[in-house]
Amino acid sequence: MTRLALIVAGCSALYGQSALDPSSAEWNAAASVSLALNRTPPLYPTDAPAGLEIGSVQLQLLRGPAGTFVRLEWADKTHDATALPKAERSWQAEHLVAQSGATDRFSDACAVMIPAQPPGGDLSPSLQMGDPAHPVRIFFWDSTRGVAVMEASGRETTKRIGQSFPARAQYAGGKWAVAMQLPALPEGTPLAVAVWNGSQQDRDGRKYFTIWYRPR
Amino acid sequence: MSQHQISMVLDLNKCLGCQTCTMACKKLWTDGDGMDYMYWNNVETRPGQGYPRNWDKIGGGFEDGKLRPSDIPSKEDYGQTFEYNYAERLFGGGLQAMPQEEARNTPNWDEDVGALMLGENYYFYLPRLCNHCTNPACLEACPRKAIYKREEDGIVLVDQERCEGYRYCMRACPYKKIYFNELLGKAQKCIFCYPRIEKGEINACAKQCPGRLRFVGFLDDPTSAVHKLVHVYKVALGLFPEKGTMPNVYYVPPFNPPRRGNYGKSVLDDPRMPVDYLKYLFGEEVVDVIRRLEAELRRAQSGRTSDVLQLLIGRDESVRYQIPKHEELIQIQGARKA
Repeated sequence: MTRLALIVAGCSALYGQSALDPSSAEWNAAASVSLALNRTPPLYPTDAPAGLEIGSVQLQLLRGPAGTFVRLEWADKTHDATALPKAERSWQAEHLVAQSGATDRFSDACAVMIPAQPPGGDLSPSLQMGDPAHPVRIFFWDSTRGVAVMEASGRETTKRIGQSFPARAQYAGGKWAVAMQLPALPEGTPLAVAVWNGSQQDRDGRKYFTIWYRPR
Repeated sequence: MSQHQISMVLDLNKCLGCQTCTMACKKLWTDGDGMDYMYWNNVETRPGQGYPRNWDKIGGGFEDGKLRPSDIPSKEDYGQTFEYNYAERLFGGGLQAMPQEEARNTPNWDEDVGALMLGENYYFYLPRLCNHCTNPACLEACPRKAIYKREEDGIVLVDQERCEGYRYCMRACPYKKIYFNELLGKAQKCIFCYPRIEKGEINACAKQCPGRLRFVGFLDDPTSAVHKLVHVYKVALGLFPEKGTMPNVYYVPPFNPPRRGNYGKSVLDDPRMPVDYLKYLFGEEVVDVIRRLEAELRRAQSGRTSDVLQLLIGRDESVRYQIPKHEELIQIQGARKA
């Protein structure tokens, strides 16, 4: 369990469905807070070192009856996203095989992590993907493969739970902006953010992360 | 460690380089989307760059019990896939079938090039597949625990549901025999034709091999050809034993025919190819293996019978393949414990 280090976030009581558009005017009115990003230390002895190329991520929240809209924005000099052809799993007579374009590229991505159960008190689960007594839920967006909801109860326990969620993203001017529609987050629910930079071969635990924050 | 270990022995002296094994595997397992560049089984010319390019120098495996760093091979390292101008050739009056783009590297780019030694060219073919290692570096490296080694036969598989495409396995494999399907976002590799093995049918690559150079069976089955070649006759070695993964695909090294005009001399005394190159591939023990094979050859040439060479001829499938049924596996296990 990790004690909250900081409690701050911008919120608004107003929202509309257009909030799923990260460039929507609705976000102009929402308060924005800059969260410092940290780099995970090398997890494996074979990992090449990675520098701190992305220093912070901007977080905005809009609350409403349909859920909580989250907008993340961060500067990333490289647009690491690939438009992949859809893979056919079954052979078709007229089907030309679609090719893998590359074997060594990774995608930009981000995620919002919240406790899987409503938190009690001011303690939050372990930042390392929760812990057995305090599992976490992760809303993951990948620039190439889209979204996935995951759950975890500690390092190396992350698994997809077969659910999706609405999200839209845009890359412009060297910045990613991603808007996600999450379930309604009760007041005081802590959240943490992670960012993966594809050009730094980020994937898995090789990433940027924030500490827990508690929006209000 | 698995209870049993299925294994393959390939006699490099018999390989024709015809790629029939390559195509048997390709048509059976890797003709789907995102698998265009994958050859779970490939045959490369040695000495040569190999597939993927310079795989033997990229890294991976273990050193002092720890994983060694490595890069992930790029698509260019594996080689291009391209279409030919068939329409122009067949219907447009074109004279030649040519690739539609300039080819810079392909899986068999330097076929039959080899190298020179004392002014003479030499090369041999090296068919390669996943080694289904006893100590798989890929399994060790996977943070998702998506790679597992089957108890019943030691086949190493990638759980396609658990795999998230992180590609630590591709880095870790010293043989670079794991591929990334970018369309599916999954790592994929040779499955040792386990659906065929489970039905008592031999691997597609072995079944189709016109050179009859592949032997398949359980290493712990004392009646199997692979057991005899590896453990009794000791004429088959794994690739790059120093990588620490304990591969379960073995090779009878090239018999290293003497140069012209030197018939009768030991290949070790007057080699046509550098013995150091064979040591590089198979370790120092290759010298002892060559000595054993030479002794068997002399035995046969003197009119006596060499059980080793008779076995290596592999006249029919019953000689080359021993795939026990499940109940027989239990008997083998019992015999081993006894």
